[in-house]
Amino acid sequence: MFRTALLRSARQVIRSAPRCQAPIARPIARGSLVQIQQIAPSARFQAVRCYAASAGLSREEVLGRIMDLLKNFDKVTDVSKLNAESHFNNDLGLDSLDTVEVVMAIEEEFSIEIPDKEADAIHSVKQAVDYILAQPDAH
Amino acid sequence: MASTNPALRLEVKRIYKELLYMGRDYPQGYDYFRNRLHKAFFNQRHLTDEEAIKKGIERAEFVKKEIEALYFLKRYRTLKHRYAPS
Repeated sequence: MFRTALLRSARQVIRSAPRCQAPIARPIARGSLVQIQQIAPSARFQAVRCYAASAGLSREEVLGRIMDLLKNFDKVTDVSKLNAESHFNNDLGLDSLDTVEVVMAIEEEFSIEIPDKEADAIHSVKQAVDYILAQPDAH
Repeated sequence: MASTNPALRLEVKRIYKELLYMGRDYPQGYDYFRNRLHKAFFNQRHLTDEEAIKKGIERAEFVKKEIEALYFLKRYRTLKHRYAPS
């Protein structure tokens, strides 16, 4: 009983399989061909734009964000001295430990991770901006 | 300060950064923790002897473990309080 049922169902599947495949496969193939022809140029163009474009950070934007960050940093003693060239230690009155905190804040702002060695080399606003601009994954 | 071993200098900065990250959830607030931590490191700035600096770093590692333990304890107490209100 069970065996006959199994055989019958198997036979049905075999018989129906090619019948199903053919009608389904053809419209899809035809449809996709048409779609590809229609959409392809713009889609390909967009894909190239998406993947090839850099994060698009301009120098002004990076500078502005770092300046805002420093403006809100409570240990900066003299905000009036804050400009694109200020040195953390000499102009802003931050010691090396505060610089570590600034670098941490910059890491968070641009969602990147700065290795300790390179973080140690950042001593001024200009150096920070240059470093961020050199990072492709900063945003 | 520039005369000291740069490797040790980096090490100190690394532990300082780690402690800062740990302090994010400090019970008395991040600012409290940050100021205290800065003061603690700042007061050791006269150290030039390598052995002394290494000892300081060890102490910082110890403090880090203490803070970890503090967080575990806090979590344990909170959970216990939730499940067994007395």
